[in-house]
Amino acid sequence: MLNNKAHSTDEELIQSADGELSGHRTAQVRAHLAACWECRARMSEIELTIADFVHTHRQSLDSQLPPIGGPRALLRAQLAELAAKPQERSEIWFMNWFIRFTSATPVAAVVCATVLVIALSSVYIFEHLASGGVKSGEIAIERGVVPDPAITPGATRRVAIRDVCSMAHEQVVAEVSPALQQEVFREYGIVNARPSDYEIDYLIAPGLGGTNDIHNLWPQPYAARTWNAYVKDSLEEHLHQMVCKGELDLPTAQRDIATDWIAAYKKYFRTDRPLPVSGSRIPAFRARWV
Amino acid sequence: MSLSDSIELSISGPINVSISGMSCSDAAEAKCPEMPSAIEREVMSLFEEFRDPLLRYAFSFGIPMHDAEEITQEVFLSLFRHLQLGRSRRNLRGWLFRVTHNLALKQRYKNKRLGDSMDHEEALVETQQDPLPNPEQMVSFAQRQRRLLAVVYALPDADQICLRLRAEGFRYREIAEIVGISLGSVSISLARSLARLMRADDAC
Repeated sequence: MLNNKAHSTDEELIQSADGELSGHRTAQVRAHLAACWECRARMSEIELTIADFVHTHRQSLDSQLPPIGGPRALLRAQLAELAAKPQERSEIWFMNWFIRFTSATPVAAVVCATVLVIALSSVYIFEHLASGGVKSGEIAIERGVVPDPAITPGATRRVAIRDVCSMAHEQVVAEVSPALQQEVFREYGIVNARPSDYEIDYLIAPGLGGTNDIHNLWPQPYAARTWNAYVKDSLEEHLHQMVCKGELDLPTAQRDIATDWIAAYKKYFRTDRPLPVSGSRIPAFRARWV
Repeated sequence: MSLSDSIELSISGPINVSISGMSCSDAAEAKCPEMPSAIEREVMSLFEEFRDPLLRYAFSFGIPMHDAEEITQEVFLSLFRHLQLGRSRRNLRGWLFRVTHNLALKQRYKNKRLGDSMDHEEALVETQQDPLPNPEQMVSFAQRQRRLLAVVYALPDADQICLRLRAEGFRYREIAEIVGISLGSVSISLARSLARLMRADDAC
């Protein structure tokens, strides 16, 4: 409890000046300042330092800021390009509906959450029973087989379907430079990585419009028992064929594989487990070491 | 939690895989507030208001200006996607700074590994060019600024960031959310930084 006769600390003085103290404590500090020249002088010193810092902060940086005109025009063009891309109304509609519904009343939010939990639990239990019970770890997602979405959200280029379907093999099996490979390993905190242990894999394969950007690359372990690099390669090839046959649109393929490639595999191969693949073959969409 | 731990890329989904908003005819615009053109206008309006503070903030991380500019552009593109998906509009200023914070930290980390970090002395040199009417005043003021900046750049990262965000007008709670530290840590950080700044003149 602050005593009017006790000096205020610098932290209290700053909080008081910043309006961060409770009303009661602010009143106490003000009462003390009215009575104490020493603390008032200290307060003035703090205020002066703040003013000097703000001035210095602005002046040292503002003088180096480029004019806004160019970036404004660039942003306007980029926004127009984004807005002109193919639309997926259903997802937007669902998101908007969900947000409006859950924000309308807290009860609605609780009901939604409860229903969701029950539904997910039911699906899990049903699948578990249907498979006759699965040993612990057998279907668990091993470490490293899915990318960190914060580091590898995926990146694509603007490409027409006829382009991806007419790509030469050399374009599809794009090479990742050693420097970029090392950068990917550093991003994932992998030290002393052996090339034979990992495939620097594209999250969205070049054959699906994925780019060589670091946001689209991650180190996928070959050694993963179930969901390994070979399995993902077969998914990439399958999706590419579906896109080229007109059975799947490209943005959907890109989004599904970037969001959760294992879920995409299960969805498009209609299976809960990877189909047998030869570990020794060179997959069509593999990002090779050089 | 360290600052590097708080890195969060606020871009969800593939970077260039766009999920556009609903399209409406011009006549229906009033009944369709989520149409892209309305969001584009809103983003451009926020760009006019916050581009300089965000660029200043990104640049204060010691990254080159061209990187800071790219980050600022990316932040507004992310904002467009954020609004397009109908996500929260609560405290968009805080959202913009939080995304800038995370991207700038990531860029600085990347640049350090590539040996492309900017020397803070460049910023100090710039402050010597501030025009003031009186030559004596100019020298004195520039010296004071140099001392303050030297102290600021010597502060720990978290302290510098709290100080700069406070100078941009953020309340303690907002700073805590952007940086990912507790409210008490913000208060202690600011008190510690100001104490050091007040001693800046003593150091000479």
